[in-house]
Amino acid sequence: MNMVVCVKRVPDTADSEVHIDASGKDIDKSRLSFGINEYDNYAVEEAIQIKERLEGNVTVISLGGKESDEVIRMALAKGGDEAIRLEDDAFAGGDALAVAKALAAAIKGLEYDMVFAGSLADDDGYAAVPVALAELLGVPHATYVKKVEILEPGKKAKVGRELEGGLMEVLEIDMPCVLGIQSGINEPRYASFKGIKQAAKKEIALKSAADLGLDASDLGEAGSWAVLEQFTPPVVGEMAEMLEGEPEETAAKLAAILKEKGLV
Amino acid sequence: MCAEELDFVEKYDLLGCIQCGRCTGGCPVALRTDLRVRCFMYDGLNEERLEELSEKPEIWDCTTCYTCAARCPKGLEPLEVLIGLRSLQIEEGKVQPTVRDALESIFKDGNPWGSPRAKRLEWASDLEVEILEPEAEETTDVLLFICCTDCYDPRVMKVAQALVRVLNAAGIDYGLIGDDESCCGSEVRRLGEEGLFEMCDEENVEMLNSFNVNRIVAISPHCYNTLKKEYHGLKVPVLHYTELVAQLLEDGKLEIPKEIAKVVTYHDPCFLGKQNDIYDEPRYIITRIPGVEFKEFDRCRERSLCCEGGGGKMWVESESKEERLAEIRIEDAKEMGAQVVAVACPFCLLTLEDATKVKGVDEEMQVMDILELLAEAL
Repeated sequence: MNMVVCVKRVPDTADSEVHIDASGKDIDKSRLSFGINEYDNYAVEEAIQIKERLEGNVTVISLGGKESDEVIRMALAKGGDEAIRLEDDAFAGGDALAVAKALAAAIKGLEYDMVFAGSLADDDGYAAVPVALAELLGVPHATYVKKVEILEPGKKAKVGRELEGGLMEVLEIDMPCVLGIQSGINEPRYASFKGIKQAAKKEIALKSAADLGLDASDLGEAGSWAVLEQFTPPVVGEMAEMLEGEPEETAAKLAAILKEKGLV
Repeated sequence: MCAEELDFVEKYDLLGCIQCGRCTGGCPVALRTDLRVRCFMYDGLNEERLEELSEKPEIWDCTTCYTCAARCPKGLEPLEVLIGLRSLQIEEGKVQPTVRDALESIFKDGNPWGSPRAKRLEWASDLEVEILEPEAEETTDVLLFICCTDCYDPRVMKVAQALVRVLNAAGIDYGLIGDDESCCGSEVRRLGEEGLFEMCDEENVEMLNSFNVNRIVAISPHCYNTLKKEYHGLKVPVLHYTELVAQLLEDGKLEIPKEIAKVVTYHDPCFLGKQNDIYDEPRYIITRIPGVEFKEFDRCRERSLCCEGGGGKMWVESESKEERLAEIRIEDAKEMGAQVVAVACPFCLLTLEDATKVKGVDEEMQVMDILELLAEAL
């Protein structure tokens, strides 16, 4: 089984204060720490676990600058075999489609049975790259995948998609295919510091737009269907109405409001 | 993995072990878990068994309190064998998710608590503290090394705040590193992450040496022990705060005006007592506070019972359902009528305070760092 995993380096904003930068088109990242996109971390683990069960090869791909090597090495330390990093000024400002075009061009040149990507990116949250990638590669896809069972290596898999309300949609999917991985599908392993250092010896192949046979006019902002105009903080709404008084009194007021607005 | 790392027998001098059993006999966690450290000293002789041994869950029960080593008649360090086995699991990536997250957080943000580096100095936001500049021309007397737990834990940060009050009262010339400060790596090493510990050692030594200071004072005994005994190439001496404060009291540079009329006992942290022989300074400080009636635990000084907070145990849950050692400690304190259990370690503070809640005595008994007690009397 030949597998490809797409990973993205993203800022960790979970516990940090986020401010819009001077350009208005990005956030100030100077005080933020960075790491692998959480969903991609699960995608890496899933590919490596399949490799351990069935043997095979895992290629890690990332689009980004030199700093992305850190997350690539982490994936290599966990068991990835080869790595490719896509770097070109022409990739800047691209939406999910433009990113998928670059990834698709790189993946087309590889032998692959399955492509894994996180279902969602922690930073822009588009949740569109795996779908666009599958479309461009002309292969089937499944998103929010929470279970993967290989029925026939290189041919067919059974995947479970996590739906609302705890439902699992089970599909049979032909290979090659693209899977958007949901968080919680597995328990990602730890990449030791020594392992990451040893992984630094593995080569990370650099590819530019030209190497991929892509034209700059079809990439980055120029090649995007959606272009980021501006970040704005959410508009502060009107103050909530606080109900005062004894519980019976406030309950009566609340019931009256709900009735009046036709909400019950 | 290189052969050198696998050569357990030589590295831990396993052939020197006479299987007397004093290690297991003295091991505090043997009371409540399956850990029998003597068996590992014997079984580790067979290198073919190392992988199997490293998969035993009880290797994660060790708190690295050092009792086994302190009591070994042959001068061996049985706890290090367990750390060595942990490192085999770390290299395989097979660790509890809580351990993984703590280690990744140290790699990324310089602290094990999953908090952003940008918030490292929030504990001092209402205080006037000096942030040291590297390569400054003027020498500052004391560099304060604030533990990650003191920086981020809402309970423990009160201890760091109390230290600032005490040093201000004594007129000490001190400064902080600020948000460039990173985890000392004490728990990293004890969780078996040797590579990451080497990074902590190298980077912290380089940073600490860049400051023009006379001495470094650590709040946590864990940081203190690591900076003092495990780092390579630090240029200035390292002190625990109890050493500095005891000296200030002795020199008459710190006056304690107020009275605290309470029965106070002191719990010796393993990393301060057993591992660094600092027993007298904490007691000296406590007994200088007017009004304090000081009582000793039966198990005190080198016989002190471990609280189970060290050795990376803040991120590893034991499988044992037996009573925690911290709970036993609190029961002992209750029996002697202590109103305050004084500590000098952030982990002891958290584990013992939790135990007062479990035992339902948190209304009548306080767990306080010596610094908090002292700051209250200023």
